Amino acid sequence: MRIDKRRYYHLDWYLIINGLFIFGIGMMNLISATSSFSSGSWNFIIKQLIAFVMGLGLMLVIMYYDYRMIANHSKWIYAGGIFLVILVLIIGLAAGGAKRWISIFGFSIQPSELMKPILVVFLANMLYDRKRQNLPLSLKDIMKPLFWTLLPFVFIVKQPDLGTGIVIILVSFAMLWYVGLKKSTYAVLFGVGAISPFFAWHYLMKPYQKMRVLSFINIDADPAGFGYHAKQAIIAVGSGRFLGKGFMSGTQHKLQFIPEHHTDFIFTVFSEEWGFIGSVVLFALFISFINRCLKIAMNAHDELGSIMAFGVASIFYVQFTINVMMAIHLAPVVGIPLPLISYGGSSLISMMMCVGLLLNISTRRYMF
Amino acid sequence: MKEEKFTAKYKWCTLVLVLTMTVLLIRLWDLQIMRGAEMRKLSEQNRIRVKKVVAARGIIYDRTGKVLADTRPSFNIYLTPEDIKDFSQTVDGLAELLKCDREEIIEKMKAASGMPPSFPIKIKPDIPMDEVAKVEAHRVYIPGISIQIEPKRNYPYAASFAHVIGYVSEISDEELKDKKKYKDYSPGDYIGKYGLERAYEKELRGTDGEKRVEVDAMGREIRTLDVIEPIPGHSLYLNMDLDLQLTADKALETRKGAAIALNPKTGGVLVLASRPGFDPNLFASGISKKDWQKIALDKAHPLQNRAIQGGYPPGSTFKILLALKALDLGIINERTTFHCGGGFAYGNRVFKCWKKGGHGSVSVHRAIVESCDVFFYNVGLKLGVDRIHELGDILGMGRLTGIDLPAEQRGLIPSTQWKRRRYNQPWYEGETVSVAIGQGAVWLTPIHLAMLSSFVANDGKNFKPQVVNRIVSNQGKVIKTFEPVVNAELKLKPGVVKIVKDGMRGVVNEPGGTAGASKVQNVLMSGKTGTAQAGSQNVKLGDHAWFIAYAPSEDASIAMSILVEHGLHGSSAAAPIAKSITETLFKVKPDIKEAKAHENR
Repeated sequence: MRIDKRRYYHLDWYLIINGLFIFGIGMMNLISATSSFSSGSWNFIIKQLIAFVMGLGLMLVIMYYDYRMIANHSKWIYAGGIFLVILVLIIGLAAGGAKRWISIFGFSIQPSELMKPILVVFLANMLYDRKRQNLPLSLKDIMKPLFWTLLPFVFIVKQPDLGTGIVIILVSFAMLWYVGLKKSTYAVLFGVGAISPFFAWHYLMKPYQKMRVLSFINIDADPAGFGYHAKQAIIAVGSGRFLGKGFMSGTQHKLQFIPEHHTDFIFTVFSEEWGFIGSVVLFALFISFINRCLKIAMNAHDELGSIMAFGVASIFYVQFTINVMMAIHLAPVVGIPLPLISYGGSSLISMMMCVGLLLNISTRRYMF
Repeated sequence: MKEEKFTAKYKWCTLVLVLTMTVLLIRLWDLQIMRGAEMRKLSEQNRIRVKKVVAARGIIYDRTGKVLADTRPSFNIYLTPEDIKDFSQTVDGLAELLKCDREEIIEKMKAASGMPPSFPIKIKPDIPMDEVAKVEAHRVYIPGISIQIEPKRNYPYAASFAHVIGYVSEISDEELKDKKKYKDYSPGDYIGKYGLERAYEKELRGTDGEKRVEVDAMGREIRTLDVIEPIPGHSLYLNMDLDLQLTADKALETRKGAAIALNPKTGGVLVLASRPGFDPNLFASGISKKDWQKIALDKAHPLQNRAIQGGYPPGSTFKILLALKALDLGIINERTTFHCGGGFAYGNRVFKCWKKGGHGSVSVHRAIVESCDVFFYNVGLKLGVDRIHELGDILGMGRLTGIDLPAEQRGLIPSTQWKRRRYNQPWYEGETVSVAIGQGAVWLTPIHLAMLSSFVANDGKNFKPQVVNRIVSNQGKVIKTFEPVVNAELKLKPGVVKIVKDGMRGVVNEPGGTAGASKVQNVLMSGKTGTAQAGSQNVKLGDHAWFIAYAPSEDASIAMSILVEHGLHGSSAAAPIAKSITETLFKVKPDIKEAKAHENR
């Protein structure tokens, strides 16, 4: 295998170092977040590090093949992703009332996480030609991409994994917007967007999901259930005050007041212990990272790379924003991990695959 | 690439990023800076629970230092409403584990509804070890439930001291409503309800401490942050004597009655037994409804302390009072005799003497020894009811003696004034005849007659009865010693007390004495029997048996009064109890030969 020296030269070190900072903070925070578990922190740290190494391997594989070549095979990759998502529903491992994992060679993986980058590549491949011709998409044009988005969405929401479902829908819309939409298409989408919440409320949402929305609107509506968790989460964040309680000194998560405090609610752990200052630093790292993703999208060699990079940027943006907003009660509780920070191998690997795509695109920006 | 077509989109993206950052930072500023202090406080409240550390109640000792009431550790189930996740899961789960009624649990929760939700409510006190293990094993499934170890009152002699020591029990809702009097109490606290536990509640209780603990979301204690140690209550040393009390209590066990013994030289209460009794330990472990109803509805009234609350006609024991007064006034002297022909005609009625054939010509000595009624009919009439009342009142009879136990009852020695006040009628001389032998309107409690016997025993002086000798702090420092308080000290005419004492010694020790069967070996005991009619003219109940006594006859160290309800004869029912108390005190081997009781007064 020969690796072009120029490509090594053009590696986006900004993105890599920025990402490593976020991951480093995540690992450190994970030590504290998991310290109250009876199995201790090490168990979690080791598992997360194994996932990191595996993610690194996948990242290198993705970087080796030209993204255009990957896009050429995106149909098959997409089909594989859909296969796994359906497989989960059949042979999935249940945990906490949801079937989200399948076991492969002793590792349990969460296919819905992998679906995110796969869909981005698939949609980018489908749309880049329209972009090159600079033709805004009509309503008819978006039907195909929307269909291929809703297909995995339905299976993922069925698991149920509403969080991931929301992410792929939002990412898919962001990509359509990036490619460009006709004015009429905007109008119809806004119309549908206005109606769909009512439709979802009456026909799609499960009672517990409705409860989450209700307790978001009125935090005291269900003080013993979802409202309780939301309340405990803002207490955790708020009690961090300016400087935080200090590393390993958060009480809210350690005393089990916050559920899923090592996965979806991990931000409360960080914010409680590092306060406003720490949170601002973390936000800055994320905003800078996402901005760098956008820069890669801007500077990509072609429309395919640009759309692909933008899709990845929107994954990071959507997950970061919703996750943090949920923790500070600006959004209803929904299971979306904080990229590179939350505990979970599949999420970490998926995010590193995204980084691999970005590096792939950025190193090839001068190639013709 | 750098085409223009993406730069517009990038501008939008930058705008969105800036906007997002702004919204997030404003919210964070609001939560962490503006409301940071409030949120920090909430997180502390989440984490820290203040728990009461119940102070050990003071120990109660008898005069020789033997423990009569102490505390032992007990396991108690508490429920913290704040920590309940699912109401029915916790309540039903607990009800099933403890095999109790869920309504009972809900009732307890309602009783504490005025307290904050973080206040743990005591659901079941003093659970046995196997239930402790069961609850511990299921803790995860019943969030909000905790087990706390607390000191628990323990009465090793159970019913034997029930009426003296009393009992503690959980403070009632009614008491808690009196915010002023019980401001230091909260639901679930124990409080003295009866006997010494109630009279000396303030001294015995001690000061509860506090423990700040860190708890997790399930309400489990993670660690203790700091502790304010409780201060144990003061101990009480009583004047009572364990051996004497057990002797008296055993003698009364199967009957209804009371025995009280005083140290005539100090007023210290040596014995105070009343039967039927109850087991005070039942109350200290949180009495069940069933047990409570059994005690409260018992027709034998086990909750009544007959020694200080039971009013009975004193019968012939009352004659001692008349003899004292008459001799003192010179109405009679040692040689004055009256003829007893078995009856005494007054008005249109004949008052009989208990001895059908009569006693013949009797002096005061023989009249006491043989308990001649006719002699005292005469004396009574000569004295008049008011002078009887006067001496009785001075000696502490009929009124409250001031014993340091709650709910003492008055008795009655009538007077002309009383009758006018009560019935607005004049006193008839004929009534005095009945009063002279302790019948009629005379109602006295056993402690009243103990005051009489100790007055005679101590040659004309008696003291306020006092159960507690001293209060001692848990460090052994004497807080307070109760010095003897003189109740009555009379300068009677010389020789008066000696005449009465000789008579009382004769009751037990002379041939023909009514309590001759209760003679004690090696120790001279003096006494006076009494057999009082119980019930009314229509309802004939067995007579009450009385015996008042003191020993040794010359320099008495114990003065007693024994009552056996419907015991029929003072000589056979009451006197033997005084005899065994005396024998225990002076360590005399009980008389082995079975003496046939005189069927005499």
